[in-house]
Amino acid sequence: MGKLRKAIRQATTAGRHAEARALRARLREAERQWDAEVEQPATQPPLVPVREQVHRALTLLGAPTAAKMIVAVDESFFGGQMANTQLTSLRRDEEKSYRSAPGARPYYLCAALTSELLSPARGLLALSTWGLPQRIIGPLSPRTDFLTSAVRLAEHLMRLDDASPGAFRLLGQLAQNIPGAGDGFGPADPAKVIAAAGAELAVHQERDQMDRREAAARAADRLGPVERLFGSGVKTVRSA
Amino acid sequence: MNRLDAIRGTTPGQDHNARSIAALAANPACDRRAVLDAAAIDKPRLMRRLRFDDRWGQSPFAIQRNQQFTDLVKANGAAHLLRLLRTLLDLPIEEAGYVNLEDAGGNEGHVARHGHTRRIIRQTAEGRGRATILDRPLLRLDVAGAQVYLEPDVIAFQLGGRFHIVAIKSFAIVDDQADTPKVSAAAREAAVYVHALRDLVGRDLVSHDVILVCPRDFTNEPTATTVDVRHQLVTLARQLSRLTRIDTILDRLPAGLSLDVDALPAAQIEAAVAAIPARYAPQCLSACELSHLCRREAHDLGHLDALGRIVRDDLGGIESVQTALRVATPGEPVADDQAEIAERLRHVARLYDEAVA
Repeated sequence: MGKLRKAIRQATTAGRHAEARALRARLREAERQWDAEVEQPATQPPLVPVREQVHRALTLLGAPTAAKMIVAVDESFFGGQMANTQLTSLRRDEEKSYRSAPGARPYYLCAALTSELLSPARGLLALSTWGLPQRIIGPLSPRTDFLTSAVRLAEHLMRLDDASPGAFRLLGQLAQNIPGAGDGFGPADPAKVIAAAGAELAVHQERDQMDRREAAARAADRLGPVERLFGSGVKTVRSA
Repeated sequence: MNRLDAIRGTTPGQDHNARSIAALAANPACDRRAVLDAAAIDKPRLMRRLRFDDRWGQSPFAIQRNQQFTDLVKANGAAHLLRLLRTLLDLPIEEAGYVNLEDAGGNEGHVARHGHTRRIIRQTAEGRGRATILDRPLLRLDVAGAQVYLEPDVIAFQLGGRFHIVAIKSFAIVDDQADTPKVSAAAREAAVYVHALRDLVGRDLVSHDVILVCPRDFTNEPTATTVDVRHQLVTLARQLSRLTRIDTILDRLPAGLSLDVDALPAAQIEAAVAAIPARYAPQCLSACELSHLCRREAHDLGHLDALGRIVRDDLGGIESVQTALRVATPGEPVADDQAEIAERLRHVARLYDEAVA
């Protein structure tokens, strides 16, 4: 292209206009080819649909989790590229789908229930295949769920041969808030995280399980199948 | 429908927050602000309706940044906050309960949320609950005869101990130093929450030490310190008690006064606003949405208020610039109670004339 441009300049200064025009046409052709080669291939749509991606992340985490964390886990452990915004209407869509054809799908992404009022816990996603106690959020549950998730991520990291640096970084961020799990600098040590989180988990687990079982019994007693998955309260959509 | 609802009309009201109460307490003598706040009038909307520049308040970027930082601190069951509280309050490992009070069984109404918050806080205070971190509780405070709902970021509770108000702010603490005006603004705001919480559970149960959570140095990592707000509490309590009772102000207003922002024509709203006396001071410019309107009014009428509180206090008894000028002119008749000021003004005028000549 550089040569062509030089030739065009020379032809123009020498007054050979017909030649210059022909050269310009060749230059444009060359530029088009160059553009086509440089251009990135368009980003492929993900092979796995969003709900599958969320299911995968939640199965790994093993506890009701907020959208932001699900996206982070999907990105660093499965190389997924979800946006937070894709998850906002997910729970409502799942609820509509369940209401129109209950049990048509093998699993549903549903709500976690607050232990006190059995209403859907804000911002958390859970799996319908989990038992009811696992989907109850009592006062201690956010902490035990956080610790459980950290242990499960660490265990998964130990199984992987070539985990991404992002995965270690994510675990490091979690470990920072678990006493004795790491100093917050450098990659986290999964074994240390498992030990530290396990130790704190042992302190809370019994009381938390008691709360959860009690609330789960209440939920099984009072709620219908839809409310058991998506919570009771004014915010559930009526068969829209 | 009471008088305040009648003043607001059909336009939806605007919620108070600690920031607006701090602003209200900053100028307790201003009837205009008191009435508008009590009637929950949407002040930015009112100003837009009167075609004033509505670029007032926090920048959207600052609000967004604050929101992001708050989300970070509260992520994963407030894991960051729990770590900070464990070091700061020596919180034992067992106390890790987290309760989100953002809605009450899906109901986001103020009354339901406040009721829920109150129940949980009572349970916690009596040692029956397991909550250590109460996220986004809704408190209620009686301000000048009006009920105001307040939402602190977090209330932390230590078993056998006290409640602490936690304020999450996005300005950085660099080398254990933070910007003084920002810290004092945060302290004033937190003092409003402490005051409201003390109304609910009693004085002794709420600590006067507020926990301030900020980013550390140049990172995004949260760090926490305690800030003593005893001084701010005393100031706030005095200001709140001094706030003129809203009923007596309303009695002085013309009957049938309405500030229905959406329904009335702009001229009528402007007349209605002008009918409520204001107490403008240049400090209002940083605290009140209506300040530009009040400033223009003060300038137009030649009020001394526009020159600042010091000038106004120095010239006690004289209302306007015209009066001051007249009194300062030698030979003009002066009322007895203005004689002293007239003498001082004339002295200053003489000095000025000599200097200029």
